[in-house]
Amino acid sequence: MADFELRRPTSVAEAVEHLAEGGLPYCGGTELIPVMQLGLMAPDILVDLKRIEPLGGIREDAAEIVLGARVTHDETAASPLVRRHARVLAEATSRLGNARVRATGTLAGNICFAEPRSDVLTALLALEARVDLRSATDSRTVDVADFVEGPFATVRQEEELLEAIRIPVRASRSSYIRFQPGEYPTVTVAAVQGDGGCRVVVGAVGEIPGVFTFPSAEDVDAAEIAAQVDVTEDLGGREDYKRHVTEVFVRRAMAQLAEGSAA
Amino acid sequence: MTERRIVGRSVPRTDAVAKVTGAAVYAVDVVMPDMLHAKVVRSDRAHARIRGVAKDAALAVPGVLAVVTGGDLTGLFPRFGHIVADHAILAIDKVRYYGEPVALVIATDPLIARDAVPLVEVDYEELPAVMDVSAALAADAPVLHEDDYSDVPDADTPPGGNMSRTPVKVTSSHPNVAHESQKGWGDVDVAFTDAHRIVETTVHHPMLYAYAMEPYNAVARFVEGTLEVVSTAQHPFMVASDLARVFSLPLSHVRVSVPYVGGGYGSKSYTKVEPLTAVGSWAVGGRPVKLVLDVEEAIYTTRADSADIVVRSAFAADGSILARDFEITLDTGAYADNSPLVLDKAVNRCFGPYRIPNLRVRGKAVYTSTSPASSYRGFGAFQGNLAGETNIDQAAEQLGIDPAEIRRRNLVHRGERLIPGNRAMDADLVDDLDLLVAELDAGSSGEGRLRGTGFGCAATDAGAVPSSTALVKLLSDGSVLVLTGSSELGQGSRTVLAQIAAEELGVGMERVRVLQSDTATTVFERTTGASRTTTLSGLAVQRACRDVIERVCLAARDVWTDAAGPIEVRDGTVHGPGGRSMSLAEAVQGWFGPGGGEILGQGVVRRTGELAELPPFWEIGMVGVSLEIDPDTGVIEVDQLVTVADVGCAINPTLVEGQDLGAATQGLGGTITEHLVYDGIQIANANMVEYRVPRITDRPRRFRSLIVERADGPGPYGAKGVGEGARNPVPGAVAAAVARAVGVWPDTLPLNPERVWRLIQRAKSTGTASPGSHGSDSGPQ
Amino acid sequence: MSETLVRTTVNGRPVEARIPNRMLLVEFLRDRLGLTGTKVSCGMQVCGACTVFVDERPVSSCGVLACDIDGADVVTVEGLATDDGLTPVQQAFVDCSALQCGFCTPGFVMMCTALLRKTPNPTEEQVAHHLEGNLCRCTGYEPIVEAVMHAAESMSSAESGTRHD
Repeated sequence: MADFELRRPTSVAEAVEHLAEGGLPYCGGTELIPVMQLGLMAPDILVDLKRIEPLGGIREDAAEIVLGARVTHDETAASPLVRRHARVLAEATSRLGNARVRATGTLAGNICFAEPRSDVLTALLALEARVDLRSATDSRTVDVADFVEGPFATVRQEEELLEAIRIPVRASRSSYIRFQPGEYPTVTVAAVQGDGGCRVVVGAVGEIPGVFTFPSAEDVDAAEIAAQVDVTEDLGGREDYKRHVTEVFVRRAMAQLAEGSAA
Repeated sequence: MTERRIVGRSVPRTDAVAKVTGAAVYAVDVVMPDMLHAKVVRSDRAHARIRGVAKDAALAVPGVLAVVTGGDLTGLFPRFGHIVADHAILAIDKVRYYGEPVALVIATDPLIARDAVPLVEVDYEELPAVMDVSAALAADAPVLHEDDYSDVPDADTPPGGNMSRTPVKVTSSHPNVAHESQKGWGDVDVAFTDAHRIVETTVHHPMLYAYAMEPYNAVARFVEGTLEVVSTAQHPFMVASDLARVFSLPLSHVRVSVPYVGGGYGSKSYTKVEPLTAVGSWAVGGRPVKLVLDVEEAIYTTRADSADIVVRSAFAADGSILARDFEITLDTGAYADNSPLVLDKAVNRCFGPYRIPNLRVRGKAVYTSTSPASSYRGFGAFQGNLAGETNIDQAAEQLGIDPAEIRRRNLVHRGERLIPGNRAMDADLVDDLDLLVAELDAGSSGEGRLRGTGFGCAATDAGAVPSSTALVKLLSDGSVLVLTGSSELGQGSRTVLAQIAAEELGVGMERVRVLQSDTATTVFERTTGASRTTTLSGLAVQRACRDVIERVCLAARDVWTDAAGPIEVRDGTVHGPGGRSMSLAEAVQGWFGPGGGEILGQGVVRRTGELAELPPFWEIGMVGVSLEIDPDTGVIEVDQLVTVADVGCAINPTLVEGQDLGAATQGLGGTITEHLVYDGIQIANANMVEYRVPRITDRPRRFRSLIVERADGPGPYGAKGVGEGARNPVPGAVAAAVARAVGVWPDTLPLNPERVWRLIQRAKSTGTASPGSHGSDSGPQ
Repeated sequence: MSETLVRTTVNGRPVEARIPNRMLLVEFLRDRLGLTGTKVSCGMQVCGACTVFVDERPVSSCGVLACDIDGADVVTVEGLATDDGLTPVQQAFVDCSALQCGFCTPGFVMMCTALLRKTPNPTEEQVAHHLEGNLCRCTGYEPIVEAVMHAAESMSSAESGTRHD
């Protein structure tokens, strides 16, 4: 790992100043440190967010669940608020990676990394979440769908801090399932049925999750989704196999949604 | 027979407390005063001539003391290899695979050494590479080794040293053939013309990685003209012999010691990073140098041979085998390492424990521009067994005979010779098989699930060449030190050897300490492998204890100056005529007088007498699986795993079960999920994220190890080895279970979800309701 | 090389050190403090051999910067047993022969300890889910599951007043 300077701000204002100087924010480091170990990234300045109190915690705010940038997967999975209003996210965060990654890794770090097989991304897209970005001079809120541009790429500017993730609270039924014969999932499916229709997100199978909307759960066409989804071939399978398991897991997700309770 | 106090009981492992508290010391934990750290500069070409190495930029980094290349090793013998000394310590003139060590950077700190590695610039002239066997065997293929290494100064066994040097036939069939091996008898071609049925099977077994969790590492230094190395070696005495040749040192001046080893499974057999570390120390005036590889480097150091095997067998109508004909091709990688022996074993182990009147096996191990292949638990056996047993199962299906019945008809009986000139069968294979199939059940199938059972048999020439020694010291307080050269790899040898000594000497386990694997302070052991330790080291320990007892009796006779009549040691007490007795401690103290002393017992096991015939014992492998498949995904779930541990005598039954479950689990990994995949010149999954070994969630729902004790082994109390047996039949057993579940025979491992799903699709498209069609599988990568 | 001053507690002992920013926690524990019970295997946070507690949370010390333990309470496998003896988890691993080579064992012991603190009476399924990120190449895992169930039992019987010995 290359040498770097370490900054440890205690306020958001201080943090964004460091980012303006070219700092890279990190918290759990579960994705960043291995990448730096491999020499794939070599930031000059790391900005540790762990000492910024306001970035912690999960709260409800005007029909939204707000998760601070420091919130870990474990905290999310255990949160009564998340379990009640965003079960797909609770499911995703209780299964991804392994117990140590869940204890340390943060949701904000996860989506900023934009790993194509991210469980969190699949869940947040299904929930139509938004993220708050803030720099020393500006702040904006962006839909997660617009936030992630592609594999390992987001619209976050270097000087911007992802402060919080916002999930709208809506009456809905949902399901989240994943097919993971290897270390990473081959396919993840989140389905959410709300008043406005049914939203199905298929992740991990391609470079970026596919979002599909239907008037209702009964209209979901698994075969159509499987035919349309973006597929990356790898050791987990070739294209036809991946399309096939996508169809299987969309069907299973819909079956689960039909059986499941509101969430 | 007297009641045994300790042998036969599952006493707790003597190393368990140290291992649960973090106190257990492994080679990677060893620190020496003034120690430096090395990192390896590795080739990023598969085959290239080295035009030059620029070291200046790396040497300019503060803290870097040296950069060593193959060209710097003047005055040394710059290669190693216990069969063919083809393996350059650091590449000389050319590199033969991506990942080959080209230079060694030595620095005061491992981080500094790592920083300097990319600063070493190697100027290559690219040569065409041969990435697989067919490319390597093409008529116009580039030659990887221009030299046949027949000029090695001491290709013969050096005195007291390396006894595994099998004479290697220098072959002329193709310059990229590392080794050829044949076995056979009878007239196969005639037998085929008389056959009721001929069954042909082709299988491909992929490259595997053993994943011993402690990657290869070593620390080396020179002290008063002696090279001292601490490493992860399974066979320190063989490593010492290789190092003695590199530095022209007498064996007395090479010391290799091995603390606890973080897994071996054969992958730490033979010499690995020890010469590299030792030349590092040599280059900096003898200061201690430590070299620790990571997993990726370990994969580029040793993998297991992939194999392509074609087998044709001729059967009579009743299922009797008339003849078998095997053709085996192994991908050995860039250097021979142990692959010539892997090939010899594959040739010996492919045809199974069956009565075969006519046999022909032809094998070759081929050099390619890939990571060197070598031993991995049961080497040769699991590759060969997959071919041989799949072929038997297909024959059973085609002949309409039950798969257990066809095996019963052909299994050799006790006393029959499986291979002419080898030891006669020393086990009751039919009885073992009956136990296995009685325990194995089909279970009940989950809704919509496919279900199959499969099982297989193996008897492998285990034990290697019997040469083991032990020294047992009875100390003046009656406690006992056992000195052995065998390594504690996790198999529990430290516990079992202590049990044997405690049993023999009549002392408690807490009075016995076992010291292992130090070529200078313990005693010779040829190898820790081939499931031999309990049998052969155990026998040496037992003999050494009996030698101690004889000497104690002589000492007692000296102490009791007037003792006329028999003297014996029973239950840790010396009994003399007239009801007199004394403790073992009193015998030692009485004999030596004030200040005490030690009574030394020596135990030697050689290839003589009962052990003259090879193998020392046949290691039996009997494994059955019952599994379920999700037809929508191809995911296999193992419901039941059954093994038969035909061990003669289970000195520690829990450890026996541990060996069987551990070996079979590695087999399940190697069959269902594991394979190293080359993508171009590099391995696409040279890490533990993408190379998937079994996890806790993959464990079979039910496991049973049936321990069979017939006291028919050559070891102490009739023991014989365990450790590899339950690994070997797993691929064939799982393949058969999958075939019976999906209706098509797999011919390629691993049986990962995608491959199984493709088999299911093939079965659907050909309308196969039961197995019968043979799925030639272009399948996934 | 940039360094950071770190004040922390490791196994109950205060530690103050200037640590290179790029040093991993496992390197600090093993190379600086000599706590070699924590092992490195995969180097990618998937095998669990390097598991330690940072403020009671299990982390892969191969994937955490050493500087990040500033102000935290770190416990390694060496910090579990006391003068009174092994912990129930350690004792269960000994009793159930839940180890062979032992290289993965410190990580498993740490992870199982973390599990039983949060979930004192886990089901086998919960045990497996919690330990999915810990690799053992020797045992086939069954004895490890047994050990966890055994430890849970002995802890809950100690809890309910039955003396555990």
